[in-house]
Amino acid sequence: MSSIRFKNVSKTFGQKEVIRDIDIAVDDGEFLVLLGPSGCGKSTLLRMLAGLETISGGEINIADKRVDHLPPGQRDMAFVFQSYALYPHLSVRRNMTFPLLMQQFRWWYHLPFIGRWAKSRIENAPDVVAKVDKTARILALTEMLDRFPRTLSGGQRQRVALGRAMVRNPQVFLMDEPLSNLDAKLRTSMRAEITRLHKEIGGTFVYVTHDQVEAMTMGTRIALMRDGIIQQFGTAREIYTDPANTYVARFIGTPPMNLVEAKLDGKGVEIGATHIKLPATFPAAAHGDVLFGIRPNALGLSREPGLASLPGTVVMVEHIGAESVIAVRLDGARTAHESDESMDAVMVTVPGYAEFTVGETVFLTPDAAQGVLFSAKTGERLRP
Amino acid sequence: MGSQTTHLPRIIAVLALLGVAIFPIYWMFVTSLTPSSELFAASPNLFPRFEQLGIYLEVFRTIPVATWLWNSFVVAAGTTVLSIVLAILPAYALSRFRFAGIAILGFALFATQMLPEAMLVVPLYAIFGQLSLLNSLFGLILANTAFVVPVITWIIKGAIDSIPLEVEEAARVDGCSRIDIVLAIVIPLITPTLAAAAVIAFFHGWNEYVFAQTLISSEALRTASVGLASFVGELSTPIHSVMTVGVIYTLPAVVFYLFAQRYVVAGMTAGSVKG
Amino acid sequence: MTKRRSASARLEGHPLTPYLFAAPVAIYLILFQFYPLVQELYLSFTFTDLLRPSDSTFVGLENYSFLIEVGELHKVLGVTAIYTICCVVFAVGLGLLAALLLDAPFVGRGVARALVTVPWAAPSVAVALVFTWMFNAQYGIFNHGLRALSLPFGTENWLDSPNLALPAILLTTVWQIFPFSSVVILAALQGVPQELREAAAIDGADRLNIFKTAVWPTIQPTVFMLVLFVTIWSLRRFDLIWLMTQGGPIGATNTMVIELYRQGFVYRDLGSAAAIGMIGLTVALIITVIYFKVTQATERAQGKR
Repeated sequence: MSSIRFKNVSKTFGQKEVIRDIDIAVDDGEFLVLLGPSGCGKSTLLRMLAGLETISGGEINIADKRVDHLPPGQRDMAFVFQSYALYPHLSVRRNMTFPLLMQQFRWWYHLPFIGRWAKSRIENAPDVVAKVDKTARILALTEMLDRFPRTLSGGQRQRVALGRAMVRNPQVFLMDEPLSNLDAKLRTSMRAEITRLHKEIGGTFVYVTHDQVEAMTMGTRIALMRDGIIQQFGTAREIYTDPANTYVARFIGTPPMNLVEAKLDGKGVEIGATHIKLPATFPAAAHGDVLFGIRPNALGLSREPGLASLPGTVVMVEHIGAESVIAVRLDGARTAHESDESMDAVMVTVPGYAEFTVGETVFLTPDAAQGVLFSAKTGERLRP
Repeated sequence: MGSQTTHLPRIIAVLALLGVAIFPIYWMFVTSLTPSSELFAASPNLFPRFEQLGIYLEVFRTIPVATWLWNSFVVAAGTTVLSIVLAILPAYALSRFRFAGIAILGFALFATQMLPEAMLVVPLYAIFGQLSLLNSLFGLILANTAFVVPVITWIIKGAIDSIPLEVEEAARVDGCSRIDIVLAIVIPLITPTLAAAAVIAFFHGWNEYVFAQTLISSEALRTASVGLASFVGELSTPIHSVMTVGVIYTLPAVVFYLFAQRYVVAGMTAGSVKG
Repeated sequence: MTKRRSASARLEGHPLTPYLFAAPVAIYLILFQFYPLVQELYLSFTFTDLLRPSDSTFVGLENYSFLIEVGELHKVLGVTAIYTICCVVFAVGLGLLAALLLDAPFVGRGVARALVTVPWAAPSVAVALVFTWMFNAQYGIFNHGLRALSLPFGTENWLDSPNLALPAILLTTVWQIFPFSSVVILAALQGVPQELREAAAIDGADRLNIFKTAVWPTIQPTVFMLVLFVTIWSLRRFDLIWLMTQGGPIGATNTMVIELYRQGFVYRDLGSAAAIGMIGLTVALIITVIYFKVTQATERAQGKR
């Protein structure tokens, strides 16, 4: 039984179609990450799930019930905003009590005196107080319950926002880039905290981010999006080792996967003057111009030529402590790197402090078993 | 929430709101174009009779509207010029300087907002009498300016607050005196706000009644506000003529304001909302 | 603040410059506002006739006691209070509703926002003129409408009726000043973070709760300031009331300012006029002090201080 189901969901703003035919199923208790660059539609998709945006086409189901026509308050979801959106005039405790209060709200609570009495009765009810206290304890907020958001640090406000989301125990937690406003160190610790919470609470999390490290470390499955379309939907491992197209290949990994122009024939690929044998055979229809994808850590680098090695010249050397990154321009072969990379060079990482200098002639030996092929025309993955 | 939606209840509510806002002005216009025979009829004439537009020219013959409008214009324009000229330096001082009298000046400007014109008109009448400023448009300009300068100063101060100090420091390093800075740098940068202030001052001068009524006695110098006021409630002058004068007097104010209101709103709310 | 002080210090020139800048306007205001004010204070302790202003007799507190005992000061204060409170409640309330209505996007919103400011742009004299005509017992459009809908009061002469005059004046006043409220509140509404509204919606809040929890706390300081301004202006408002009812009938619309003018220019008693002026000023000052105290207390309760 799937927990969240997007069925052919699309969204248009005016003339522009920003979400195109999204169709995925999310399992119960999963930590789904919507990953992608700015403007890819990941936040819009999340907001559509929450009910903050309407859907132009398709359906959204939760636990097999259609929800896309329901207003946000009735979908049994919680949302953590990038800016936390804490109620500034309420204390931390009352911020966290608010969703519970709204759950039991009746229209006549708006009346002046009766309303105040009824609201205070709910706020002080033992089960409500217990829920808030328990959530505060889990998030280490107990000492701050009577403080106001204005006096809290970014990380503390983040936790209050989480607490407000958790206190209702919803079936789905939505988070829109919650860690972007924190500094790097805090981000790392909060990442671990959110993952821990997920394990402890066990609800379904949908998490939006543009940071691939967050995606890879936190998500059970990742949906990588671009221009409103899902490029690949799978586990972190699948996306890393088995990318569905060149965009995915070059989005994940730092430095990203290299793509070298090559020709595919029955036995392997030909890159420049070198022929590299591939362990698998590919259908004849795929023969011809392809892109050979190989990760920077799957390339051997030496000053001596070897069997099936690619000659090139070193154009850049960077030492990052534990490893070195070396960029090599190949002789007779070009890369298919996107223009923003600006360098027509293959990136190689070697452990330690590599003693190569710019201008040297070097030879790269790819580990053919780790190579992947893409169509040069469409960028789609070619499979054996 | 989400995309733009056009709900019917909201449309109706907005139309009702606009109807309420516009109706009296519309009614003034309709009445001005209603022929005498229908003014006192059993059922009212609800739509403007454009064939009666001739009354707008006719009214200049029977009522000294032209004189009134001219006087009002002179007073309004004079108030505008004088109040802005007077307000710029203290606005700059309030924004940039910290000295002993500043807080008092700021408070004094605020306090004047509490003084009713009707109260000060008596001593002002006496003072003007001594200065021979009675029955002169210039005197009226002086009086109006006194009441509008605090608001103008506050608005201009708000605009000067938002000019970064670095711009002035650079000029200082180049050897400019404060006055030079104000004239050559500050004023050009706050032109939209000055426009807004000008509109507010002009309005005040154009709409003002109490001083215009009390400090001016000769008919030749009467402003439109006083002239029109003499018709309120009395029915001897034909109502449609009176309404015609009303429309002629109101139209420049409303049109001018609609045209400039973007700047006025920005100018007036910039300071207050941030805080 | 400290940054500004040190930065401005770098600009320091002649130490007298600030005073020179402030001097012209200070002199001007002293001459045309504060000196008259002091004169008023003095006048309030004298018996002076309008036609012979230099011929004053010092009478101490007699003007004040006269006003309180014989002059029905309490009635004037009562009318002023009712007028002011109703103006504030209706003008700010209506302005708030109008602002909320005009806040959400819809076709023609810009035009609507501009048009709603028309009442504020219209000169008071013209407003008095047309509303007096509209309130006319037989031929005014209001009564025409009331009669057509078979509602009560359709034959009343509004401005001449002791019970209906104040409501009529209030209607006119609120019509004229609510656009100012709506413009100011509309500007404040732009400062409400959209995410705050969304958070409340997701927490299950209905429209009114979203307003109370997400919108109101952000616009509250602006609304409070607006209340202060409308209050002070109501205490000052002269043109509309004088032209439409002159404070009548039987003092039904006789606010402090109207009574002041009447004492001075109708009864020619400048001393009593000045005395009322002083009382009015004191009331305005007290209200301002109360306002600031209340604002501080509220901000403390909301954790802003």
